[in-house]
Order: sequence, then structure tokens, then C-alpha cells
Amino acid sequence: MAHYKILIIAASLTLSGCAGMDAQQLMQLGSNMAGKVVAANKPVSEAEEIQIGHGIASNLLGAAPLSTNQRAQSYVNNVGRWVSLHTERPNLPWQFGVLESADLNAFATPGGTIFITKGLLQHLKTESELAGVLAHEMVHVLSKHHLAALQKAANLNIAGDFAGQALNTQNNPLLDKALQAGKEVYARGLDKDDEFEADRKGIVIATRSGYDPFGLPAVLQMLDSANAQDSSLALMFKTHPAPAARLSLLDKIMANNFDGYASPTQTDARFNAAVATLK
Amino acid sequence: MKKLMVLLLLSCITLPAWADSIGYTVRNTEIKAKPFSDAATLATLPEKASVTIVQRMGGWVRISSSTGNGWVKMLNLRSSSARTGDSGLQSLFNVGRTGSSGITVATGVRGLSSEDVQNASPNPVEFAKLKNYAVNQNQASQFAQSGKLKSYAVEFVAAQ
Ligand SMILES: [Zn+2]
Repeated sequence: MAHYKILIIAASLTLSGCAGMDAQQLMQLGSNMAGKVVAANKPVSEAEEIQIGHGIASNLLGAAPLSTNQRAQSYVNNVGRWVSLHTERPNLPWQFGVLESADLNAFATPGGTIFITKGLLQHLKTESELAGVLAHEMVHVLSKHHLAALQKAANLNIAGDFAGQALNTQNNPLLDKALQAGKEVYARGLDKDDEFEADRKGIVIATRSGYDPFGLPAVLQMLDSANAQDSSLALMFKTHPAPAARLSLLDKIMANNFDGYASPTQTDARFNAAVATLK
Repeated sequence: MKKLMVLLLLSCITLPAWADSIGYTVRNTEIKAKPFSDAATLATLPEKASVTIVQRMGGWVRISSSTGNGWVKMLNLRSSSARTGDSGLQSLFNVGRTGSSGITVATGVRGLSSEDVQNASPNPVEFAKLKNYAVNQNQASQFAQSGKLKSYAVEFVAAQ
């Protein structure tokens, strides 16, 4: 009976154009699905989320390595880890990396690994702006935006298919499939509502952390004033709503609600010192 | 050429926020004497007025304009449609990059395109370095203290 079910699942997957899988992977998927029917509504465990995120982070580092500037790396980690303490998931293994790339961009991966490119860091003016960018990325982790997107892209029920699997084993076809889908998701971007949510919540998380609430809006103004045709902005602009649209949303929700928070006054020197060392 | 680029990049880093960038108003906008809502109103800019942005402070930017100089709310301004020529930032963006400027990309300057992301192979060696840079909660709290950062209780704002 169980095998009969697997065949039907396998056949329907084939018919619906499940590309890039050989028969063996398909059978593997089928047997996993059959075995996990009960677990279908179980949420993805934190360990699975972190595992997938680490795979995606490793892939992103294959596209651009880390900057070798240790001072900038630990500076960004300090800012990011402090901001992360003001989220609903302060105990995730948050870690941050500056990517050696002249592009302007930032990436979040499931489970709490976050990247900012050297190019974006060099175009920021204050620690509050950096905190705003990192807080935006953290919301993608908190709300599991990428997990949901890659599940959709891979046509995988991560919770059901992955539940109870040892994801750290080599040559795990399900993990491979999730990571392959991850590449598509990072090249294409999230839904724009996910991006707006990250802006909307990101300003609050940065404000909780003692930063100027207008740090993220200031970064968006900088991007809005930049030449949209520039190649260093290509991936960022492809994967995000236009800066002007994001500013309009923040304009609506910020109103006068964030006027009472003073900008930090003791962080400029260390920001300038850390960023100035980037070549 | 390389020296010029270095100079331009340095000047980019040391430029005051918003130096000489152009914005336009998205609604009628009061020019205030100081960056506060209850400061004296010096003049009112109409919608789509062009202003030169001099400095940012919190949610306010200091501007100069044909109507007057002073402080306006940052989110009353946009930049994208205001561009008529090369703003300072824009021309700096183009230095050393291929793209609309047609300037040859400087050697060693590395981009990160959607193709790069799609074709990337895992880099476990780089990934392993991440944990060496990570800091724990105590270190982060000390860092915050040294910057005189305080925590605040702030609720998320509902989507509109
Ligand atoms: Zn985002």
C-alpha cells in the first residue's frame, strides 16, 4: 500500500514537470513523503532552518568571499548582534559577514547568517544606517521569508519532507534541492510584501536598539538618489521594490511616531574608523 | 586614473551626508528654522519643489531652495525623479564601474550579479571563517555600552 502511494506521488510529480530530479531522487522524495504524512503540518525545526541557511550562506560565499578586513568584520558583528538582541529570536546563532564585492547589497539567510557587501557598507554614513540595513535583513530571518519562498520554488513541503531527516548528511537530495531553489530565490528576490514588512519592522528593531529610526530611510534615500542603471545596483534593484516606493511606505507608517528618539551621539567615531579601513 | 579614483572614493567616504544632492517635495512642505515640528515655520514649499539637501539629522534634512533655507521632514522628499544631471553621488557611483557611464571597470573590483548567485558553488572555507568573527551577547552588550546605546520598548507598527 505504501509503495503504491509512492508511485502515485512519483508519477504526479513527473507529470507536473518536476525538473532536475532523476528517478532515484524521485523515489527518495516519494518514500520521504510517504513516511512523513503525519508530520506534514509540523513546523520546520530550528535546526533544519539553520542547516538550510548555512548551505545558502556557503553558496553566497561562493559568489563573493568575505572581506579580509577583520576590523570591519567584527564591527559589523557587534552592531548586528546587539540589534539581534532586540528581536523575538535573540538566541539564534546570529553571525554577520562583509562580502568582498563592490556591489551594493545585503542578504539574509535562514537561521541568522546575514551579509552586507563592502560596497554598501562604504556608502553608509552612520552606525544607525548600518543598524537599519541589518535590522531589515533580520526581519527576513524572523519571518522566515526565504524559507517559505524556497519551499514554494522547490515545490517542497520542507516541514513534511525534512522532518526527522539528518540534514547534515552528505548528498542529501532534499537539501540539495532546497539549496538549488535557494539560488533561484536569491537571484530573483522575495515578494515585495516581504520587503515592505522587513522595512516596516526593521525600523522598529533598530529603534529598540537605541539607533536613529531614520537610519534605514536615509539609506533608501541614498539608493533613491543613485543611478538606477549602475551595474553595482543591478541585483539589489532587481530583487527589491524601488527605493521611492519603500520610502513612501515608511513615510505613511512613521508619521510622527518616531520623532522622540534621539540619534546616538557616541557611535560616529567607531563607524568611521571601521569603514575607513576598508579598501 | 587610479589615483583619481582613490581620491574620488576617499571624498565619497568623507562627504557629509546628502552633500549637494537634489530632492523634490512630494507634498506641501514647511521649512522650519530648526529640526523640530514645533519650530518656527520660515516658508512653505509647494509639491514638486526642487531643493538642495545639505545635511540630515534624524528625520529632518537641512535644505536650501529658491523659496528659502531651513529644515524639512526627510520623508517629504524623494530624489529619483529629481535627477536632471549628475549629482555628486551619482557621478561617484559611476566611477570605475561599467554601466551607463561606459567607464571601464577597475581591475579587481568585484560585482555580485544574479548570475553569480545562481552559478555559485559552496565555499565551506569562507563559511567556516564566519564564526571567528561572530560575537556573543555579552560582547555585543559591551559594545552597545561603549557607544552609549540604550534599549527602548517599541511595538511594531501595523501595515497601512
Ligand atoms: Zn530585503
